[in-house]
Amino acid sequence: MQIIISNSSNEPIYEQIYSQIKRHILTNELKSGQALPSMRQLAKELDISVITTKRAYEELERNGFIYSVVGKGSFVSEQNNEMIKERKMKVVEEQLLSAVQNSKEIGLSLNELLDLLTMLYREEL
Amino acid sequence: MENVIELKQVHKSFPNFQVKDLSFSVKKGFVTGFIGGNGVGKSTTIKMLMNLLQPDAGTISIFGMNYNKHEKEIKQRIGFVYDENVFYEQSTMLDMRSIMKSAYAKWDDELFHYYVKEFELPIKQKIKSFSKGMMMKASLALALSHHAELIIMDEPTSGLDPIFRRELLDILHSFMQDGEKTIFFSTHITTDLDRIADYITFIHNGELMFSKEYYQIEEEYAIIKGATELLDRDTEKEFIAIRRSNHGFEALTSNKAQASHLFGDSVLLEKPSLEDIMYYTKKGAEGGAAINT
Amino acid sequence: MLQLIRKDLMLQKNTLLIMLPLLVVYIALNASATILSGVLFTIAITMQAFMLDEKRQIHILFNSLPYTRKEIVTSKYIGVFCFTGLVLLTILIANLVIHGESPTWKELLFILCLTTLFFSFSLPFSYRFKSQYLLFASIGTFAAYLVVINVFIPNLHDLIREVVAFLLAMEQVQLYVLVGCALVIVYILSWLLSIRIYEKKMF
Repeated sequence: MQIIISNSSNEPIYEQIYSQIKRHILTNELKSGQALPSMRQLAKELDISVITTKRAYEELERNGFIYSVVGKGSFVSEQNNEMIKERKMKVVEEQLLSAVQNSKEIGLSLNELLDLLTMLYREEL
Repeated sequence: MENVIELKQVHKSFPNFQVKDLSFSVKKGFVTGFIGGNGVGKSTTIKMLMNLLQPDAGTISIFGMNYNKHEKEIKQRIGFVYDENVFYEQSTMLDMRSIMKSAYAKWDDELFHYYVKEFELPIKQKIKSFSKGMMMKASLALALSHHAELIIMDEPTSGLDPIFRRELLDILHSFMQDGEKTIFFSTHITTDLDRIADYITFIHNGELMFSKEYYQIEEEYAIIKGATELLDRDTEKEFIAIRRSNHGFEALTSNKAQASHLFGDSVLLEKPSLEDIMYYTKKGAEGGAAINT
Repeated sequence: MLQLIRKDLMLQKNTLLIMLPLLVVYIALNASATILSGVLFTIAITMQAFMLDEKRQIHILFNSLPYTRKEIVTSKYIGVFCFTGLVLLTILIANLVIHGESPTWKELLFILCLTTLFFSFSLPFSYRFKSQYLLFASIGTFAAYLVVINVFIPNLHDLIREVVAFLLAMEQVQLYVLVGCALVIVYILSWLLSIRIYEKKMF
């Protein structure tokens, strides 16, 4: 598993780890059930503090990407397709909601917004 | 989470300096970096943790025990590293080994020889002829060879070259692997900390400024840079200290979210280094928030 | 605590290897000064051992190791007897081998009493002040002593010798017991005082 940390990035290190592991899971590079290195092991290898890897793992666990077994370590969760779809759906909903709000603020009508969305979807813009 | 060290309202007065109402704790299984400038009470605190000094008031508990009743039990479980040579001048590593071995119930010769080999230490050479880096390695080898659960170090990286500082961090990372060990160390070289410290405890003028997770600092604190016109009596209150120049201002805030809300895109927000935090906190404590250059 | 005493003996290995043969040579050359040589050698060897530990850094070392301050002090008070014992043993054996006769038990006891008395005073002093002051104090006392014998009592030396001879000649066991008890009490008080001083010490 490759993880590249940038110390000069504005993105916190735990977030860098979080998003990279997440990507590895979503691209199926990390298979479900596969063991992740222990937090302390990863901290040592990346030369960062344990609490940083701990936070990344906690975040991954909270969002259902991994699960941990006391005394055994952390493993990649069963990636249920329905679950992923549902989760993505929710994100799309949120993003559309904010687009709607912004449109209302500048007086964009529903039809105009639909046109814009259609063009964006078909990559005509 | 279990605390290995707990200080509650600790006071210690000296003729020209005092540690005031110091309360903080050190979590088991993690590395806590103890920062602050020179002469702000770091060494005094470490000495109190080692019972070399007794507080005038307040309580110190280590592994849940206090020094009055359990001095030997506590010290059996501590490994110590000081920034000066506390060994007999004429002694060799072998001599020190026998002194340490007779003191610690869990002394492990095999482990000692492992570290001696790992650190490339000459065991028959007099310790006083060691270089600063070798001295540090020698102290570390002696501190790690009795299966201590808590390592207390006073300025372990001062006077070491950058290469050895990196090696030291590797050694400490390995030491922390089983999750049962705790490290508490003071330093003023804050760049070492982002690679190893889980918690930061910061004191200034004998008082605790904060004790929190390292990443929390990045989330709460920010350096704000902007045009001087943005500063007025109200906005200045947002800052711990402000550094003004003819070309704008630079300031530290401990409430990044609020500052970002207040100034929006009119300013630059940057991640502060621990040195920034130490610098501005000192300036802020010294008098008002304004620093003019 | 035994470890601390053993440590003192171990660190003094080299000193002992030099000083004890020196004592033997001294006895071979001069049979009459058993008491003086015994006391001087005991003090020299013991002080050498204790002065090594007087440095602030060494205090920090032993106070960071799993020893209590009480143990650190007590080990010194017991250590005195170990060093005295070694010197007395050397005197006994050397006299037997070289001169074919052993010193009287009174002489040996006298050495023990004098060293006990010396350390009863010097140990709390060393814990309260720094070792070099003990040296200054000794030099001061010695200078005063020289002045006293030269100016006031030119025959002080003879007087002391007479007193010693008188004491050694004395037969009353009761008196010995009395002096012994007094010394034990002084030594214990000195030990308690040293612990009090050392427990308040800051490094």
